[in-house]
Amino acid sequence: MPPVRNGIPNRGEEDEVCPVCKSSRYLNPSMRFLINPECYHKMCESCVDRIFSSGPANCPVAGCNKTLRKNRFRTQTFEDINVEREVDIRRRVMQILNRREEEFASKRAYDDFLEQREEIIMNLVTGIDVAKTEKDLQTYASENVASIRSNQALEREEASSFQEQQTFEKEQARLRRQAARQEYEDERREMLAGQEDVLRRLAAGKRDDAAAIAREGQKVLLKKSSARRSEEDRIRQKQAALRSSDAKKSGKAVTASQATGDTGLVKGLKKIKTPEPEKPYSPFAGFTTKRDYYTLRDFYPSSYLEPIRNDTRMQAGGFDLGEYYSRTLLEAFAGLGCFIGDEVSKRDPTSTLGISKPATEGAAMAAVSTSIANEETA
Amino acid sequence: MAVSPSIPRSPSTTSSSTVPQKLKEIATQNISTGKGVSHPQIPLQNPDYELAQQLNDDVRHKYIKDRKLGEGTYAVVYLGHLRADSASYVAIKKIKVNAEFKDGLSMDAIREVKYLQELSHPNIIALHDVFTSKDLNLNLVLEYLPGGDLEMLIKDGSIHYGAADVKAWMGMLARSVWYCHENCVLHRDIKPNNLLIASDGEVKLADFGLARSFADPYLNMSHQVITRWYRPPELLYGARQYSGAVDIWSMGMVFAELLLRVPFVAGNTDLDQISKINDAFGTPTEENWPGVTKLPNYVSAEKDRIVPLQGRDFFLRQFPTAGSVGAELLMSMCALDPRKRSTASQILQHNWWFIEPKPTKKEDLPRKPGGVKKMGDDLARRGGELQEGPFHNTVRQLDFTAMK
Repeated sequence: MPPVRNGIPNRGEEDEVCPVCKSSRYLNPSMRFLINPECYHKMCESCVDRIFSSGPANCPVAGCNKTLRKNRFRTQTFEDINVEREVDIRRRVMQILNRREEEFASKRAYDDFLEQREEIIMNLVTGIDVAKTEKDLQTYASENVASIRSNQALEREEASSFQEQQTFEKEQARLRRQAARQEYEDERREMLAGQEDVLRRLAAGKRDDAAAIAREGQKVLLKKSSARRSEEDRIRQKQAALRSSDAKKSGKAVTASQATGDTGLVKGLKKIKTPEPEKPYSPFAGFTTKRDYYTLRDFYPSSYLEPIRNDTRMQAGGFDLGEYYSRTLLEAFAGLGCFIGDEVSKRDPTSTLGISKPATEGAAMAAVSTSIANEETA
Repeated sequence: MAVSPSIPRSPSTTSSSTVPQKLKEIATQNISTGKGVSHPQIPLQNPDYELAQQLNDDVRHKYIKDRKLGEGTYAVVYLGHLRADSASYVAIKKIKVNAEFKDGLSMDAIREVKYLQELSHPNIIALHDVFTSKDLNLNLVLEYLPGGDLEMLIKDGSIHYGAADVKAWMGMLARSVWYCHENCVLHRDIKPNNLLIASDGEVKLADFGLARSFADPYLNMSHQVITRWYRPPELLYGARQYSGAVDIWSMGMVFAELLLRVPFVAGNTDLDQISKINDAFGTPTEENWPGVTKLPNYVSAEKDRIVPLQGRDFFLRQFPTAGSVGAELLMSMCALDPRKRSTASQILQHNWWFIEPKPTKKEDLPRKPGGVKKMGDDLARRGGELQEGPFHNTVRQLDFTAMK
């Protein structure tokens, strides 16, 4: 690998030197280098301890005036400090702009979003419009706290379930292998036993039986192995079915959170389906208690009903005159408001056109026949 | 001419409101055109009868029977669907013709048709059509409710439900009862068995085999209605004039059962039922129920078993899951004196529906597979029966001890 820019030498090289205290690995083999994502200047662990133990201080590298804190120091992952920095930036931006594909109205919108995110990252990495980009990012972050958090949770969940799936599959594969080995062993043992059996019987039996015994032994073996195979198939199918149902379940979980709106930065999000404001519980579910033509009163004077009020037995049984009132009034007014003429005219014209004549004909015929019948009876 | 206007019309002519009108037109047209074109020489013998038959055939041909779902002594239930649309399921309840009934039809069937025709409410099973098949059996085309019934959910220990679910179910039950009463119909057989569940989770009141309209004054009604465990004390005491309050008591019992997951007062006989009610809710006396001693079958409780009328504390203690407001509502449904019981509309206006927890949305209510079979059995049963199984008594004993 060629030596990288900034003159950072390859790790593990003997002549690594701390740029701050100039001590080299040659003298101190256990030396570790740390960086701070504030300015990415490298220094050794003892320097960090020495300079920053008593609180935040300026970076000791000449010309760098960044204030660093000890707790932000960490070991370098990538050799190239620029890569390290870009990965850091990328991680931070991705954590904020963590919209998911299913949140977008179209594939195109999602692609645009990806491009935009890439642009922001590149801006920050290469130092174009840093202030403005940072500001945009911050406002977006503060405006979409909820969505960011829920998407993060989803991501974590996915990662963990993926991991689980991986380990599960590995375990399954191990079991399958073990079963196969076991089966092979069994088969071999059985075959040997079968052969021995055949030999024993051959030794014991007459000469004529020899062919029959050999054939029989073959058949038994075949039967056993085919039975095993079908059993195996069955198990395999069952497992496949289980797997597919698992997949379905996890698919459902992903689509669960989609209650976010279009924001200033990210375009093309799905329109928020504002969940309908929960209506207050309506016990009658839209049915009314009102009657159109009358209002029910509690008492109607009637000499016919008066004895009931005084009949303790009927009263004790719970008989309620109110119910009688309501029923009689309902029945009395039941036919009101039904206008047959209106209903007839409302009927669709195609059905009325052809039918009206025969219908009247039929009615006339019925009338005639009944009148004849009446005459006969008279 | 042997015209008789008294020949029974198919019930389907009166069943649903809009269809028959059109069918009638089609039928008359068919008849008249048939007369005019193909058989000009045959005089129309019996237009009325022909019409009825034509209409019946039209209705019958709208549906296809698929398979049997359940069978009882009184009816067979089939799964069916519309001829035009194989995805539109219906349940077809075929009432068995039985010689022991007047005119071969049981009153239950007539009641069911009579009242279901009139009632149209999301929480009441819909009667789509009625027709007769070749052997003159009565067929009711009912709404297909594959979710089973509430009893199934109550009994299944593996299903967990909470106060919000109970509230949702009770809300739907209360609405259906209120709607019946508003339209002057007494259901008289409310129990978890008869509360079927639609595919969307909606609870629907079914089995109107014991229903009747509000009675005329001085008319005796039967007190042998409502399955025993859900029968109110006034019916147990043989009251012949009663009101919608009987349904409210049953509703209270269903409420209690939903909360406890066992029938709350489950007597082995009518007398046992009375004494259980005494023990649970208090002894009916002239003070708390004026006139109770005048009821035909009144039996005075033994002196040593007199229990004072239970107050709010009892209900709160017994049904902690309902909360204090819920317990109060339950108490108002379980008043011994029918005059003191809440009416259905009072119940619906109760505060309990509005407080937390909110009723569960019907899509989120717990459900259980295997409801189709259960619906078949439920619809095939006659009203007012307890479900008799081989170990019926044992189960009841267990329930009883669990309750104490």
